[in-house]
Amino acid sequence: MSRLASGGLIDRTRPLSFTFDGRALSGFAGDTLASALIANDVRLVGRSFKYHRPRGILTAGSEEPNALVAIGAGAAADPNSRATTTTLYEGLQATSQNRWPSLGLDLMAVNQLAAPLFVAGFYYKTFMWPTKLWEALYEPLIRRAAGLGRLSMEPDPDQYDRNHAFCDLLVIGAGAAGLSAALAAARAGLRVIVADEDGRLGGRLLAERHEVDGRPAADWAHEVVDELASLGVRSLARTTVFGVYDDREYGAIERVTDHLSAPAPGQPRQRLWKIVARRAVLASGAIERPLVFGGNDRPGVMMAAAVSTYLNRFAAAPGRRAVVFTTTDSGWATAEDLLASGVGLAAVVDARDVAPVAAERVRAAGVEILLGASVTAVHGREVRAVDVRTGDGGSRRIACDLLAMSGGWNPAIGLGGNLGGRPVWSDAIHSFQIETPPPGMTPVGAAIGHFSLAEALRDGALAAAVIASDLGVTGPIAQPPRSSDDPSGASPPGQARMKKSKAFVDFQHDVTVADIELAAREGFVSVEHLKRYTTLGMGTDQGKTSQLNGHAVLADATGRSIAEVGAILSRPPYLPVAIAAFAGHHRGRHFRPERRTAGHDWAVERGASFVDAGLWKRAQWFARPEDGDWLDTVNREVNTTRGGVGICDVSTLGKIDVLGPDAGRLLDRLYINTFSTLPVGKARYGLMLREDGFAMDDGTTTRFAEHRFFVTTTTDNAATIMQHIDYARQVLWPDLDVQATSVTEQWSTYSIAGPRSRALLQRAFPDIDLSDEAIPFMAATEFRWQGETARLFRLSFSGEMAFELSVPAALGDGLIRMLFNMGRIFDVAPYGTEALGVMRIEKGHPAGNELDGRTTAGDLGMGRMMSRKKDFIGRALAERPGLVDPDRPRLVGLKPLSGEVRLRGGAHLVGLSDRPTIENDQGYITSAAWSPTLGHSIALALLRRGPERHGERICVHDPVRGADVEAEVCSAVFVDPEGVRVRG
Amino acid sequence: MAEPLQITARGKVALATVMARKGVDAAAIGASLGLTPPTGPLTAQDETMTLIGVGPGAWLAISEYGQAGWAAMLGGKLAGIASVSDQTSGYIVLRVSGEGAGDLLQKGAFIDLDRTAFGVGAAATTVIAHIGVILWKVDDAPTFDVALFRSFADSFRDWIAASAPGLAAPSSPVR
Repeated sequence: MSRLASGGLIDRTRPLSFTFDGRALSGFAGDTLASALIANDVRLVGRSFKYHRPRGILTAGSEEPNALVAIGAGAAADPNSRATTTTLYEGLQATSQNRWPSLGLDLMAVNQLAAPLFVAGFYYKTFMWPTKLWEALYEPLIRRAAGLGRLSMEPDPDQYDRNHAFCDLLVIGAGAAGLSAALAAARAGLRVIVADEDGRLGGRLLAERHEVDGRPAADWAHEVVDELASLGVRSLARTTVFGVYDDREYGAIERVTDHLSAPAPGQPRQRLWKIVARRAVLASGAIERPLVFGGNDRPGVMMAAAVSTYLNRFAAAPGRRAVVFTTTDSGWATAEDLLASGVGLAAVVDARDVAPVAAERVRAAGVEILLGASVTAVHGREVRAVDVRTGDGGSRRIACDLLAMSGGWNPAIGLGGNLGGRPVWSDAIHSFQIETPPPGMTPVGAAIGHFSLAEALRDGALAAAVIASDLGVTGPIAQPPRSSDDPSGASPPGQARMKKSKAFVDFQHDVTVADIELAAREGFVSVEHLKRYTTLGMGTDQGKTSQLNGHAVLADATGRSIAEVGAILSRPPYLPVAIAAFAGHHRGRHFRPERRTAGHDWAVERGASFVDAGLWKRAQWFARPEDGDWLDTVNREVNTTRGGVGICDVSTLGKIDVLGPDAGRLLDRLYINTFSTLPVGKARYGLMLREDGFAMDDGTTTRFAEHRFFVTTTTDNAATIMQHIDYARQVLWPDLDVQATSVTEQWSTYSIAGPRSRALLQRAFPDIDLSDEAIPFMAATEFRWQGETARLFRLSFSGEMAFELSVPAALGDGLIRMLFNMGRIFDVAPYGTEALGVMRIEKGHPAGNELDGRTTAGDLGMGRMMSRKKDFIGRALAERPGLVDPDRPRLVGLKPLSGEVRLRGGAHLVGLSDRPTIENDQGYITSAAWSPTLGHSIALALLRRGPERHGERICVHDPVRGADVEAEVCSAVFVDPEGVRVRG
Repeated sequence: MAEPLQITARGKVALATVMARKGVDAAAIGASLGLTPPTGPLTAQDETMTLIGVGPGAWLAISEYGQAGWAAMLGGKLAGIASVSDQTSGYIVLRVSGEGAGDLLQKGAFIDLDRTAFGVGAAATTVIAHIGVILWKVDDAPTFDVALFRSFADSFRDWIAASAPGLAAPSSPVR
């Protein structure tokens, strides 16, 4: 065990058992998986992506490129989880990834032997041709070898929640600067939200040995968190702000129960936040840069700040005998942390010639100090010794099992570039900084290159004061607390870089110095090209530890400065976010909301199968046990309706009240035909065009009073037509005194169709006069039913004598049950959308298939409905030559010459002796059905000059589903062409 | 201490859409109704009726006593100055009240429901879980009313069940 005897922010009274690759281990509450592994002397945790090299834990934060494991088992297994940010819980099961057959013996590591093959641009160079091998060979090969982590391939069993928040100030990161800002802002009275990816707020205050306000820094952080809570601040721990969007909107992901072994029932796993913040403070801190030398990826080579974190926060020693290799002052703090923890410190190697003050204390402890020196090589599969080139040019081998490296600090500015602000190089901090942050965002502390603790505390308080003043809040100006000294000198990246052996830049994607130099030689000298060609920074860590070192190598290789080379622009998400979190509640059955009619439950009871019509669920048919298949059911429903009486729920049609003195005038301008002359109590069919002259939608409109029209639309177009009407009355003709509102949901409407429809209704409503004189075809009337207004329309889509009966939707369920009780003696049957469709094809009524946005009124046989006495939307453009061309395909009927043959929608029409080519194409079938009334297949089609060609024979060409068949062109109205039946 | 979170369907209310005729202002409508409608996303209320601003010159009117024919009566009162459509069956109105009522709605609505931004009498026409809603704040208990198209009732209830775990399903609104 490498657990220190005392210290750390772990709870030694709460041991936790967990497994790693099946091995039983134990840690304490307060551990991360990484710290617990370190405390258990586990050093090898994964294999690299390309060469399958053994890798250990590099960092102690979310920038971790190596220690990616699968957490959990079965359907809930979560691949590519960072051990460094995974809170340990009782029973946690972790499994290493990207190795086969086992972590210790990874056969894919032979990739290393072929390393010269796996150079930059490997995929582009190797898998080039023949192209047909891509699907069969290359892609499966690449996927098997290169995949990082594995999905369980089972449905995700977890719940994902969603929330929204609004605040004056969003503090991103709760380290020294963030807490200081939050405290000052909250005390001034601002609405503050604090988000930090860690389970415990405090950032570096938890990981370093500092004093703030005369107390240990971790204690100060704890007190601040308590005070923030008392001031009503919403502190979101385990929450990563992953993106900045327009209008000061921020995306964040909260890991709600990922750290619990047994979440309470109903608790979500994660929660997606959308936060609108008037101002934001980016206090995301900084990420330590690795140094680049041969073997820098070996297990046992760790970032110096991570070593300090494991020692100070988790009381876990990552080694027994350490060497510190640094180009920064903060590396010396790690040296002192090692000494304070009692871990053996063999040497401190500083590439700089002048040592900081801390060197004297380290030297006094008897530690060898090598200035102007560099580590050149690492020995052992896991670190056993390092080679050091000393300041005088000599060479030393130092035995050690831990190498702590510190190459300087990069402000964590990923979010700062989300809206396009390019990072700018700073010679002062030897890194990139944000110059143009997103609107409303202020970077503070280490995120703006102010690396010392005192600067961070001051920055936060100052930013909060400025923001409060900007927002018009004038509270007391908080003074930042006093803190211990914290020197933060560093040198430019690349100072200690060695080109020998495999010196890794991107640990996750196995990109070496040599790869970048090769890419530069091949002409990939832009950072964006370099990234894509070498895959530098394209791993799940998005190059948080590697990007800048890679750019420094590119700068050297091309003889430019880093400032000239520039930095890539980072896009959201800052860290990977599970797609399930974006979906939240909306997956599976809840993918989108459902609309159900008032008669839905009744239809379910009657055995309906449902079909989606937009969001609506509509009964498609009502199968009975004796029906052989769905076609039997549909034929029976059609025959029952045409021979007796059937009832169909048509409540989903769009319904719009168009009201006011100018209602008729508006409708005249919307429809191709005239409505202002429609008498009260009458209905009329109408067709609307788009502005471009093509047909848009159709339906019936009824006038219930002088200033009261009731418009219906197709189900699919209900919202579109409502918008169209509002646009017309509000934008085109605001001078008209007309009002409109959707009443689709107010009315539940049933079509009662068939020769016995009147008898059924008369039995249900004995007091209503249903005679042809009282309610002729295309008439409407209102009456009272159960104290409410009911509306009866004499309309027919089926071609039979039919009525549509509307009642307030609250009564819709009761009405359909009553109608079926009353209709039992007439053998009434319900029919669904499929039978409805068959009957409308038999009657030649155009529907969605024909009103597809490419047909004109003339194409649909309604050219003569276009009024010449008035203007209407689409009139002018409907007269374009192309739209009045007599050669246009127009609506006809088709019947096969042989009764057995089935016609199918989508089949194309060519002359009997023509070859089936595009040049010879004369049209296509829009709708087809089996007509139980006629006993053969029928179809509606758009055929060039169709109406002039009734009686002609034509070839129906269907290359996808069957052989060509011969059909006769006929009228689109197959049943009752004289329209006798609708009139009773 | 606030009451526990409770969600009930308001079954007895009558609803109507009221749209001002051209050139008629809220004051004229108020003179006829005895209650001046708000000229923004707000509510106006007396003992019998609530008027919710849902757009320029447009209101959702709610009668606390859902007697049949109320919308027609309202139409008669406003003849010549506003057009009225009965929506009593068009919307269901859910009352969300008690502890965490605002938190639940905030999970769905991307508008600020904090008491400082959305006080008693505030109203909004927005979207929750892809379902269009009109919501307004009745009192500081807090109590919110949410009106949504009837056909979405089941999907909305599913969203509540997913978003407020442990909460008993709301009394099923009749469709």
